Amino acid sequence: MPLPVEVLDERPSISLRQRLLLAILAPLMLVFAISVFLDYRLAKETADAAFDQSLADAALDIAAHIQTGESQVSVKLSSEAEAMLRSDGSDKIYFAVRDGSGHLLAGDADLPDLRLAAQGQPEFKDTRFRGAWIRSAVQRIDSPLSEITITVAETLSKRNRASRKVLTAMILPNLIVIVATFLAVYVGVRKGLAPLAALEREIATRSPSDLREINVQPTPREIWPMLSRLNELFVLLRSAAEAQQRFLADAAHQLRTPLAGLQTQIELATLGGRFESDPDRLARIEDAAGRIGHLVDQLLIYARAEPGAAAIQPLEPLSLAVLLEEAASIFLDRALAKGIDLGFDIESATVKGIPWMLREALANVIDNAVRYTPVNGVVTVRSGIRDQFPFLEVEDNGPGVPAAECSRIFERFYRLPGSSGAGCGLGLAIVREIAELHRARIELANPVTGGLRITLIFSAFGEQTQALACADSAES
Amino acid sequence: MRILVVEDDKLVASGLKQGLLQAGYTVDVADSAEAAEASLQTESFDLAVVDIGLPQADGLTLIRRLRARGSPLPVLVLSARGSMEDTIRGLDIGADDYMPKPFRLPELSARIRALIRRAHSIANACLCHDNLTLDTGRHTASVDGQALELTNREWAILEILLMASPKVVSKDRLVQSLAGWDKDITPNAIEVHVSRLRAKLAAGRIEVRTVRGIGYRIDAAAS
Repeated sequence: MPLPVEVLDERPSISLRQRLLLAILAPLMLVFAISVFLDYRLAKETADAAFDQSLADAALDIAAHIQTGESQVSVKLSSEAEAMLRSDGSDKIYFAVRDGSGHLLAGDADLPDLRLAAQGQPEFKDTRFRGAWIRSAVQRIDSPLSEITITVAETLSKRNRASRKVLTAMILPNLIVIVATFLAVYVGVRKGLAPLAALEREIATRSPSDLREINVQPTPREIWPMLSRLNELFVLLRSAAEAQQRFLADAAHQLRTPLAGLQTQIELATLGGRFESDPDRLARIEDAAGRIGHLVDQLLIYARAEPGAAAIQPLEPLSLAVLLEEAASIFLDRALAKGIDLGFDIESATVKGIPWMLREALANVIDNAVRYTPVNGVVTVRSGIRDQFPFLEVEDNGPGVPAAECSRIFERFYRLPGSSGAGCGLGLAIVREIAELHRARIELANPVTGGLRITLIFSAFGEQTQALACADSAES
Repeated sequence: MRILVVEDDKLVASGLKQGLLQAGYTVDVADSAEAAEASLQTESFDLAVVDIGLPQADGLTLIRRLRARGSPLPVLVLSARGSMEDTIRGLDIGADDYMPKPFRLPELSARIRALIRRAHSIANACLCHDNLTLDTGRHTASVDGQALELTNREWAILEILLMASPKVVSKDRLVQSLAGWDKDITPNAIEVHVSRLRAKLAAGRIEVRTVRGIGYRIDAAAS
């Protein structure tokens, strides 16, 4: 029985796996990112220090060429020496030597005059120059005449290349570690949750009538408390269903025996002819007693076909051909009495179900057909396999059912407007209940020959299908 | 024919008694399993109608004791419980047929007739249906004492139909039953045998009715 699933919370639920993956992987990723960042900074600082040192050395080299004359300081840098100074594989080297008043003594006039260093230690700074970033080393030297500032600068390609190299060298192994960790965690979480998935499958494939306890042993210990609560619920449900069955059996007994007595007495009175003054009245009383008996039967069947009560009844394989043969013996006399040609079209098929329920379902559909098909009509009962699914089908050439009414006729106590009062209004409701329990689909069609065709299609267990389908004229 | 009705509900018991009396049977009523046992041990009956729900020992216990003693008495079970399990248990224990309550007298009479006929055919090697007699020992059949010339297969088909009456017998079942002599017998061949059988039964008051798509049933001939 496909029970309705109640959605209790509108928020999307986060699965345990998602939760675990998020809780493990998110901090792990953060730690990785911080570690890569710190490693990179350390490597870059080391490399920068080495490059800075060689810039500072270059500044000192220039200092060696400073000559202090009588009145002025000059830089005697030969063109070879300058070429040496400026030669570099990848970067452009700039330099400027300035005196205390900022007057250029040698080098590139437009190189920014940074004047930031105290005497002694060289200082370093990044600035923009001629449209590119440069790193400058500034060295101050005291000379007797003036304070001299030597600035040596270079573009950053060497440094950038170095840091790119460091970065690649660090990221690749880290990436491998990250991917490996991700995979290990993912597989681990999946494996860890596999017992839950197995349990989910077991519960999903359970037949609705299976109220046995779930075996706790093979499941993870963490969900044992939950499962034992669930098992307690199963026990409760079972005992409730059994109590209901006992009640129904008792009620049936209490109702049926006096009815049987009443009916027999009336029948005898009719047969005896002792009510000759008004035989019609007696016939009506007999009819009423018969209908009460039928109603009691149908009510009890309807109650016993309820999902709760049905849950404790075992499913058995059942031959549809045998079901039809039994029905032939039961309905032949009634059909003959009405001049109805009751025929069968049997192909063997087996369904798994509760035998008495399927018997009742078929009996109710045939009963309906025989009841509402006019005198000298034709009723045909079929069984077999269609599109791999077993089916039961009853077709008549009676008045049929208007499309607008076709879902309503399966409601309890609903009667087609203008139909005769013979039925109790429960027959097709019972059929629907039993069909739902067996996950069978009911199809209603009005064949071209007129009348009604009701088909019960037993789809594969677990497949969700619309319970009731109505077609106006499905005939080709 | 004498029938024992075991039923504790007075209304049902008296109705059954009267109805069966009108159908031409002699009827005794017992209102408990204990009273029924007393009657069964001292007198002889042709059939018992037993209600399952009895005070003290229930109907099933009564049938079990009856069968334990080796009694072949045909038993029809009345069940008000409406649960198939009770019915199936009844048939397993040794009941021959069942009727759910409330029942219709004509149907009950038909079942009782069939049970008694079956019991007689076993005891007397003779199946009787109206003016038709089938001697199961000598494999002969007669209508009003007039012998019928039946082939083995026609005779076998008639026997199966009479034994099953008032139930419908499927053509498949006939094929299976006759396959013992004739491995290749087909449903079409059955139809041929049945149509010949019909011609031979024309003089009798029974007929073989065709049930479209399934098989046949013995019915009273339309006069």
